[in-house]
Amino acid sequence: MKNLIIYIITAVIFVVTLGVGYLIADQYLGRAPEQPINFSHRIHAGDNEIPCMYCHSYAERARVSGVPNVQRCMGCHKIIKTDSPEIQKVAGYWDRKEPIPWIKVHNLPDHVVFPHKRHVKAGRKCQECHGPVETMDVVKRIAPLKMGWCLKCHGKYDVKNGRECWTCHT
Amino acid sequence: MSGILTRIKDKLKSYRVPGYRTKFDYKWTMVVDLDRCSGCEACVVACYAENNLPVVGKRDCDVSRRFSWIRIERYVEGEYPDVKVKFIPIMCQHCDTAPCEIGCPVYATYHNQDGLNVQVYNRCVGTFTCATYCTYDVRRFNWFTYKWDAPLEQQLNPDVTVREMGVMEKCTFCIQRIRVAKDTAKDEGRKVTDGDMQTACMQSCPTDAITFGDMNDPNSKVSKLAKSPRRYRLLEELDTDPSVIYLKRVMDDKKGSGNGHGSSHG
Amino acid sequence: MKRRDFLKFIGAGGVGTGLGILFGQAIKPPGSKLIPYLIPPEDVIPGIANWYASACTQCAAGCGILVKIMDGRAKKVEGNPLHPISGGKLCVRGQAGLQSLYNPDRIPGPLRRKGARGTNSFEPISWEEALSEVTAKLKELSDKGENDKLYLLTSALSGHLGRLTDDFMAGYGSTNTINHDLFDYRNLRYANSAAMRLDAIPHYDIENTQYLLSFGADFASTWLSPVNLSRGYGEMRQGEYRERGKFVQVEPRISLTAANADEWVPAKPGSEAILALAIAKLIVDSGHYTGADASAWKALLAPFGLTYAAEATDLDKKKIRHIATEFMNTRPSLAIGGESISAYSNGVSGLVAVNILNHVAGNLGIKGGVRANDRDLFAGTRAKKVGPGIDALIRAAEAKEVGMLLHYNNNPAFTTPGTVKAAEALKNVPYIVSFSSFMDETTVLSDIILPANMSYEDWGDHFADPAPGYQVATLMQPVISPVYKTRSLGDTIMELGRGVGGAVAEKMPGGTFADHIKESWSKLYSQNKGMSASALTFERFWRDTLATGGWWPEGAYKEQKLSVTPKRVARHVSKEPAKFDGAATQYPLHLISYAQAGHLDGRGANIPWLQELPDPVTSVVWGSWVEINPKTAARLGVKMGDMVEIESPHGKIQSPVFLYQGIRPDTVAMPIGQGHTLYGRYAEKRGANPIEILPSTVDKRTGVYALNSTRVRILKTGRPGDLVKMDVSTDELGRNIVQTIAPGATGKVPPSSHH
Repeated sequence: MKNLIIYIITAVIFVVTLGVGYLIADQYLGRAPEQPINFSHRIHAGDNEIPCMYCHSYAERARVSGVPNVQRCMGCHKIIKTDSPEIQKVAGYWDRKEPIPWIKVHNLPDHVVFPHKRHVKAGRKCQECHGPVETMDVVKRIAPLKMGWCLKCHGKYDVKNGRECWTCHT
Repeated sequence: MSGILTRIKDKLKSYRVPGYRTKFDYKWTMVVDLDRCSGCEACVVACYAENNLPVVGKRDCDVSRRFSWIRIERYVEGEYPDVKVKFIPIMCQHCDTAPCEIGCPVYATYHNQDGLNVQVYNRCVGTFTCATYCTYDVRRFNWFTYKWDAPLEQQLNPDVTVREMGVMEKCTFCIQRIRVAKDTAKDEGRKVTDGDMQTACMQSCPTDAITFGDMNDPNSKVSKLAKSPRRYRLLEELDTDPSVIYLKRVMDDKKGSGNGHGSSHG
Repeated sequence: MKRRDFLKFIGAGGVGTGLGILFGQAIKPPGSKLIPYLIPPEDVIPGIANWYASACTQCAAGCGILVKIMDGRAKKVEGNPLHPISGGKLCVRGQAGLQSLYNPDRIPGPLRRKGARGTNSFEPISWEEALSEVTAKLKELSDKGENDKLYLLTSALSGHLGRLTDDFMAGYGSTNTINHDLFDYRNLRYANSAAMRLDAIPHYDIENTQYLLSFGADFASTWLSPVNLSRGYGEMRQGEYRERGKFVQVEPRISLTAANADEWVPAKPGSEAILALAIAKLIVDSGHYTGADASAWKALLAPFGLTYAAEATDLDKKKIRHIATEFMNTRPSLAIGGESISAYSNGVSGLVAVNILNHVAGNLGIKGGVRANDRDLFAGTRAKKVGPGIDALIRAAEAKEVGMLLHYNNNPAFTTPGTVKAAEALKNVPYIVSFSSFMDETTVLSDIILPANMSYEDWGDHFADPAPGYQVATLMQPVISPVYKTRSLGDTIMELGRGVGGAVAEKMPGGTFADHIKESWSKLYSQNKGMSASALTFERFWRDTLATGGWWPEGAYKEQKLSVTPKRVARHVSKEPAKFDGAATQYPLHLISYAQAGHLDGRGANIPWLQELPDPVTSVVWGSWVEINPKTAARLGVKMGDMVEIESPHGKIQSPVFLYQGIRPDTVAMPIGQGHTLYGRYAEKRGANPIEILPSTVDKRTGVYALNSTRVRILKTGRPGDLVKMDVSTDELGRNIVQTIAPGATGKVPPSSHH
């Protein structure tokens, strides 16, 4: 009988901590998937100080910020560092006329409307959500991208209708 | 009995800030002119295309699972040869005192500051309460996750969420278009005015029966049309205070059932 | 607690947390791909829509449209607000065009017949192979010297595509171009040409009329140019600064349009022409008509006395006189003759009678009446003469005089009466090439299929007919890249022509079809003063035209006097009502088959949105029905939803019953569109096709098969039908849902009528 109680307690602890572990992973552990090309934001945005919106050119104008098209990559890399193996990979895509299949780091569910435009126009820095990308060799998601996290910021900046469901969901 | 009714009505009225209509930026309103409406249903297909409404098939249609956010109802009066057929497009009336909003246990449907009755899909848990409370039978429930045969899904509107099983949905007054219009207006530092946006049904309507706009703007077309002597609202006696205004059909209707001969309601 | 247990708990907790974290990381979405553009197209921002102007080809009206393109896909079609026909509006079929474009049942690429003809057994082949095979066959026929045995069967192709196919046929040495659509207004064209010497359909100015008398024109859903006419209708009713127009519809059943009328006049089927002429007689006799030929009219109309008309039409004399008085005294008034009056065995006579009525009331060539359309500028693009009809092809095929058939975009096996046996006849054709997009009852008979692009994927142009009183040329441009391995029909024709060589090759323009369209427009630009005045250079004009969707001199009405003379129409005026097959004793009910709003002649049946769109009048979805008056049904002992057999002298079909007060008790009606045996997953084996049981009665003047030309009887089957309708009840139950107001209480004045 006593053994049974011990087993039950063990099982309960196991289940509860399983949940806790899941929440830790979900909320606090970022994601840094392997990309087809070892692109370093540190070199581009950090060392060479290229502005974010030079490559992510739609951020100011549209819902999505946009990944740079391959032509834009080659615009510089026809000349710069053409001997690096990673750049040769880019050149390979360009020669084959294939787009580069990047893996998404920041992803939102379909039922959320998130316009980059409004956030950029409101003067938010990219780093507020994306973290210090200019120091990252591999891009890692630092924010949980959960609704609570969104609302915290909407509260902080006192966004008009910022806590209304319909502002982001339809 | 009347005491209870009064209490409910009071509760409905205190449900939101009094006088909010003029307090906020917009009060979206739709005017449907029944004398123009020919019942052609262009609005219905336009709504399907704009709002990613699934096609459910014959069997599901038979058990009233058809997803039309806007529908044409038809009423046939009299016997041959004195027959009158009347049409009326019915969509979510975006009631200012909406029964559905009180019903929802998870606050998935609520009134926003533009006077829209908003349905938040990710809050909805599918209790069906709102649909049973709805006076106008305009709410549609996703009994299944409906699929589009490839490549039909390429037509889906990326601005509108594709709903899944267990979610209630209804006409949004094309909130995604309102959002775009507001976005543009904000860039230009002004308010949304007539001509900035149309709902899908209004845009398609060949006879111009549907007009959509901001009631808070005294110069908008809806404000002007709303003053028509033909104005009435659907089942107004239930005190739902709808945002959709109908203009009576001009007709010699011999039934004389008090269908507003010469008089004008509300 | 024992130490061991404590350790157990710690262990469980640790393992639990660890596994939880691993699990949490593992189930994170694997990171969908983020694919950038290789080279970004100009003006494209992901997530922001671009709009491209084109023309709708779901029917022949030619509405200007804008297509919403996001990330390379077509998302929505809207009317082009600048365009004079659509004015930013669109009908159900126009809206649903995208489901035709993205239809899963489109023919994905060239196919060659593998099995026996008509068994739908095809194998995919390459475009090179397909083109070379067809070229070889064309050469073979030409080598045999049987060039005139080549037939081309298409729907009416507008603009330069039509001209290209004409050039191809002329170059090849064949005159056998057959245009066929179930609803292509051949009778109307013929009647207008005979009565008014018009070679283009005029503009029926519903917008500005004060009294509209329609003989079965269902303009709210299908007739002629439904969007344009519906726009006019809205204005006629509630346009600003004008009186509210009155609208009377003569039709055996209450169609969608009749439901909007102030008065419904259920004349006996086949007697509408007599009614029109009786009204005309009353007008002439009253002295309203003051023309010099009044006496000639009086003589011509003499047989159509009120007593005879009342008897033939089964209407009250008072009613006819009332309509006549209102029609002549309300200015301007307008009479239009639609599908139901033209679908009788004497269809042309009915439409001529409507023209006579307009003439004697003084409605021709005026604002709010019938306005002529100009065709001068684009007359060269297509001869709009009423050419040989589908009956000519079928007769030739029966006689084995067709050596080869090129077929595009219509379906005679579905749209000709069952007694004609079109499919059987076409099986005699040794070689059939089809350019169709869908495997339908006609396409399945072909030997090789070279699927053409849809209008959204192709260049092209459209010259409106009927236009709104002035010329409208609409340009089509490819708004998306082809969804399947299809090719522009123009390119295919040009390639075939060049392959055959000789006179055809000489007639074929150089370059691609896209080049050809641009070049043709540059010619139009230099020939037309209005066009060249609108822009300084052609390049500029072309850019503007692509952006605005076409060219039209807004409001430049062709003011042309129109008239009908007794001499011209005498041979079309007949006292005989239309003929119906079957003895009245045996087959007591007239059958009316009409175009269903969504499916038109059946072409919309493969579009899921349109299948699920409730019929505007009955609210039936996904199937057919037969409309029966409740009184007739009671006599027959059938009730709503019962499956019945509809039997004509030429065959029988089954359909569920729909009880409808808005139909004459001696008439039943069925929609056209369903009953496909082949047309993709949404259309197949659904409902019944009333055309199957029609006789092969034609109006000899035009060769048009009469849709309303048989009587039927209804037989009980005792089984329930598969009727699914969306309306539970059509009774308001005292809820005052559709409120009405009497004319006069609205601030809008009813049209003045003197009794």
